[in-house]
Amino acid sequence: MALLVAENLSVGYQTQKGYLHAVEGVSFSLGAGKSLGFVGESGCGKTTLGMALMRLLPPNGMIRQGRIFFDGEDLLQKTDEEMRQVRWKKIAMIFQAAMNALNPVHRIIDQIAEAILTHDPLCDKEEAYEQVRGLFQLVGLPQDRMRDYPHQYSGGMKQRAVIAMALACQPKLIIADEPTTALDVLVQDQILQETKNLQKEFGISIIYISHDISIVADVCHDVGIMYAGQLVEYGAREEIFDSPRHPYTKALLSSYPTLTGEKNRLVPIPGETPNLIHPPLGCRFCDRCSRGSVSCRTETPVWIEISPRHKTLCD
Amino acid sequence: MELWRYISRRLIQIVVIFFVILTVLFLLFRLAPGDPVSRMVDPNLTPEDAELLIKELGLDQPLWMQYLYYLKNFFTGHFGNSFHYGQPVVQIIWDRLPNTILLFTTSIILSALVGIFLGKIASWHKGEKTDTCMTLGALITHTVFLPWMALIMIWVFAYRLGWFPITGMISEEIWLDPEAGLWRKVLDVLHHMILPLTTLFLIHFGSYLLIMRSSMLDTLKEDYILTGRAKGLTEKVIRDHHAAPNAALPVVTSVGLSLAFSINGGALTETVFTWPGIGRELVFSVSHNDYPLAQASFLLIAIVVLLSNLVVDILYAYLDPRIRY
Amino acid sequence: MMTVTTVNTDIELSERFHWIGRLLEGWSIYRKSLLGKIGLTLLLLFALMALCSFIPPWADPMYHPMTGVDPEISYSVGPSMRHWLGTDFMGRDILSQLLAGAKIAFMVGVSAAFMSVFLGTAIGMIAGYTGRFTDSLLMRLADMIMVMPALLVLLMLAALFGQLSIWFIVLFIALFRWPGVSRVIRAQTLSLKHRPFIEAARVAGASHLRIIFRHIMPNVLPLSFLYMTFQVTSAIIIEAALAFLGFGDPGTVSWGMMLQWVWKTGHMFRAPYWLLPPGICISLITLSFYMLGRAMDEVLDPRLRKEGETD
Repeated sequence: MALLVAENLSVGYQTQKGYLHAVEGVSFSLGAGKSLGFVGESGCGKTTLGMALMRLLPPNGMIRQGRIFFDGEDLLQKTDEEMRQVRWKKIAMIFQAAMNALNPVHRIIDQIAEAILTHDPLCDKEEAYEQVRGLFQLVGLPQDRMRDYPHQYSGGMKQRAVIAMALACQPKLIIADEPTTALDVLVQDQILQETKNLQKEFGISIIYISHDISIVADVCHDVGIMYAGQLVEYGAREEIFDSPRHPYTKALLSSYPTLTGEKNRLVPIPGETPNLIHPPLGCRFCDRCSRGSVSCRTETPVWIEISPRHKTLCD
Repeated sequence: MELWRYISRRLIQIVVIFFVILTVLFLLFRLAPGDPVSRMVDPNLTPEDAELLIKELGLDQPLWMQYLYYLKNFFTGHFGNSFHYGQPVVQIIWDRLPNTILLFTTSIILSALVGIFLGKIASWHKGEKTDTCMTLGALITHTVFLPWMALIMIWVFAYRLGWFPITGMISEEIWLDPEAGLWRKVLDVLHHMILPLTTLFLIHFGSYLLIMRSSMLDTLKEDYILTGRAKGLTEKVIRDHHAAPNAALPVVTSVGLSLAFSINGGALTETVFTWPGIGRELVFSVSHNDYPLAQASFLLIAIVVLLSNLVVDILYAYLDPRIRY
Repeated sequence: MMTVTTVNTDIELSERFHWIGRLLEGWSIYRKSLLGKIGLTLLLLFALMALCSFIPPWADPMYHPMTGVDPEISYSVGPSMRHWLGTDFMGRDILSQLLAGAKIAFMVGVSAAFMSVFLGTAIGMIAGYTGRFTDSLLMRLADMIMVMPALLVLLMLAALFGQLSIWFIVLFIALFRWPGVSRVIRAQTLSLKHRPFIEAARVAGASHLRIIFRHIMPNVLPLSFLYMTFQVTSAIIIEAALAFLGFGDPGTVSWGMMLQWVWKTGHMFRAPYWLLPPGICISLITLSFYMLGRAMDEVLDPRLRKEGETD
C-alpha cells in the first residue's frame, strides 16, 4: 500500500486576469521510504503541487479536483483542524530559499522546540530541548549554537536547521522544495548526501521538487517531469534517464552538461511556456517541440505506458 | 558585548549633539540683535547688583572667555535667576521636570501599546468593518490640530460636563491638607492628568496604529509565516507569536523618529491645560522675556529629547536580535 | 565613438518621454482611489476659500480680516445675516478671517514644502551620489536637525529676535524639514547610482553634475513630489501652533492666530462659532493633504495598489 497517492489533481489560482490552471490532472504514487522527484522549469506547477499536498495554498488558490490519499485517508476531506494535526507530524516541508524560513526574532532552538511542543502536548520544554539536541547532532550542527538566532547562521547551517526542524516530529513524508538552490555547490552536495543517509536511516519518504534535473537524478527513486502544469513523463529514475521518451524530457536532459558520456553541444529549449489562464487544448509543449504536428495541437494527449514503471504523454 | 558598544556609541553621539546645541544657543544669545547683557541680567536689579552679576557671568570678557564661563556655569548648574520668579532657574526647572516626564512618558507608552494592539487587530480583519472603522478613526484623530483638540476637550469635559478640572495638575486643597493620605494625592493627580493624557493619546495612537497595520500585512507575507502554518500552528499563535514581534519593530522606529514631534505636542498640551511642566515653562518664559528661564528650559527639553531617543534605540536593540548579536 | 553617443541619445530620449507615460498612468490609478478623490475635493474647496479671501474686504471694508471693524458691533456675537460666522472680540468678521487663513495656509504650506523638498532633494542627491565624507557629513547634519523639535526652536528664536515675520517662519520650517526628505532621496539615489544607464552616461563622458541633474533627478522627482504633500501638512501645523502660542506674524491672519484670539480673550467657552471653524479647517486641510499623499503613494508603489488594477 503506497504511502501517498494523488489522483487526477488539479490546482489553480484565482487572479485578476482570470483563473490560472497551475496544475492539471496530476496522478502519482509514492511508497514508504521511497523518494520521488518533480522536475520542471519555473512556472511548471511543481511548487504549487507541493503546497497543495499540504493544503498550504494562499487564499486565492484552490484544489479544483482530484484526491490525495495519505496513509489511507483522503486529505482533501479533512477539516482545517484535522489538517493542522497532519501538518508537520505526518508531512513536513522544507522550503525554497530557506533563507527566510526561520523567524528572525526567535532562537533556533525555540523554533524547533515549538514544532515538537505543538504536536506533543504531553512533552515539556526541557524534553523538547533534549530532542532538539539530538536533532542537531543528526544534521551535523554544533550543540553550542542552538541558542543562536537565524541571522547568525550561514546559508548551509540555516538549511540544516530547517532540515532538523522538518525531522522534529518524525514525519512519514517530507516535501523538499528546491532546498539547495541558494547554496554553493559544495554545501549543496553535502546536504544532498546527508539527506540520502537520513532517508535510509529513518525510512522517510521524500518528495523532491527542483528545476535541477541533476539533483533529482542523484537522490530520487522515481522522477516526474512537469511542464506547464502537467505531468508529461513519469517513472523510475533509471528508465527516464536511460530512455527518455517525451520530447520535453529529452530536451531537458540535453540542456544539462554531463561529466561522463559524449561531448555534445548543449541545446537550450527555444520558445516560452504557454499561457496558463487560457491553456491550449492539445499538447502544451507543442509550440516548442521539434516534432509538433497539427494533431498535437488539437488532440488531448493520453498516457502511453512504456513499462510498468514508466509512462509518458508522448512517444 | 555588542549591545554595550552600540549604547556607548549612541551616548557619545548624543553628547556631541548636545554640545552643538549648547554652543549654537550661546552664539544666538550673544549675537542676536539687541543687547545681550539685558538678556542675562534682570532689568529689575539695581545697578550694583547688575555689575556683580555681569562680573559673575563674565559678560564683560571677550567672546571666547564668555564661552568658557558659559560652559562652566552650565556644568555647575548656574543658570542665573529667573526674571519673573526671582528664584534660581535650576530650582524651577528641577521642580517642573517630573511633571513633564510623567505626562510625556505615560502618553507615549500608552499610545504606542494601544496603537500596536489595535493595528494588529485591524490587520487581521483587513477590509472588514472593524478595519475600516479603526483605520478611519486613526486617520481622523491623528490629523486633528492638537491645541484645538485640547480646547475642545476642556470645553466639553471640564466646562460643560464638569467631570474634570479645567487647569493644573493638582488641587491645592487636597495637597495642603495635612490629613490627606498619599493615595488621595495620587488620585488627585490622575484626575487632573486624564484630559491632557487623553488628548496626547488620541493625537498619537493613530499613526502607530496605521504603521502597525501595514507592517503586519507586510510581515504576514514573509516566508517564516508560511513555515509556521506548515508546522501546524494555530492562526492565533502565528499572528501573536511570530508576526507581531516582527511587525512591531517599525513602530518602535517610528516612535523614535517622531519624538521631536511628540515633544512639540507635549509643550502645547502643557500650555493649554496649564500643566506645570518644562514645556509650559518654556512657552511662558518666552512670552515674558525671561531669558535665563527660557534658555534653561530649552536645554532641559533638548536633553529630554536626546535621552528619549537613546531609550528608544536601546529598546529597539533589545527587541531585534539582529542588532544585539 | 559614434555608437556610444547614439546609444546615449537613445537612452536619453526614452527617458525623456517615459515620464509622460508614467504621469498619465499615475493619474488613472490616482483617480480610482477613494481617498485621493476626497482629498483632492477638499483641497479644491480650500483653494476656493483662499481665492475668495479677497472678496469680503473688496465688498465692504468692514469685512477686512485684520482691520475691518463693524461700526455697530465691537464685541463677539454669533452668526447672523451680516456676519455668516459671527464676529470676534473686536467685532471683526470671522468668515473673512477664515478665508484669509486659507490663503496663509496655502502660502505657508506650499512655500515651506517647496523649499524643504528642494533642499532635501538637492542634498539627498549629492550625499547619495558623492558618498564617503560628504555623505557622512551631510547625514550627520541631517540627524542632528531631525532630533530638534522645530516648534520649540522657533520659540527660542522668537524670544531672541522678537516678532517673527511670516517668511522667516517659512524659511525656518524648511530648514527643519529637509532632513526627512533628504534621507529618502539619498536612498533612492544610492539605488540608481549603479544602474546601467548611469554607467553608460559616465562612459560617454558626462560630468558628475550633468549625471545628477539630467539622469538622477528625473527619476527621483516623483518621490520628492510625494514628500511635498507630507511637508505641506507639517508646515501648516507648525505655523498654526506657533501662531496659537502667540508668536506668529502679527500682520497676518492665520487659523492658528484665530485660535489664539479666541483662547486668550476668554471666549473659548462661549463662542463655538469662533472656536470651531479655524480648528476644523486646520484639521481638514491636514487630512486632505494626507489623503492626497496616500493616494500618490499608491501610484508610486505598485505593491500598495488594490487588486484588480493593472501593473
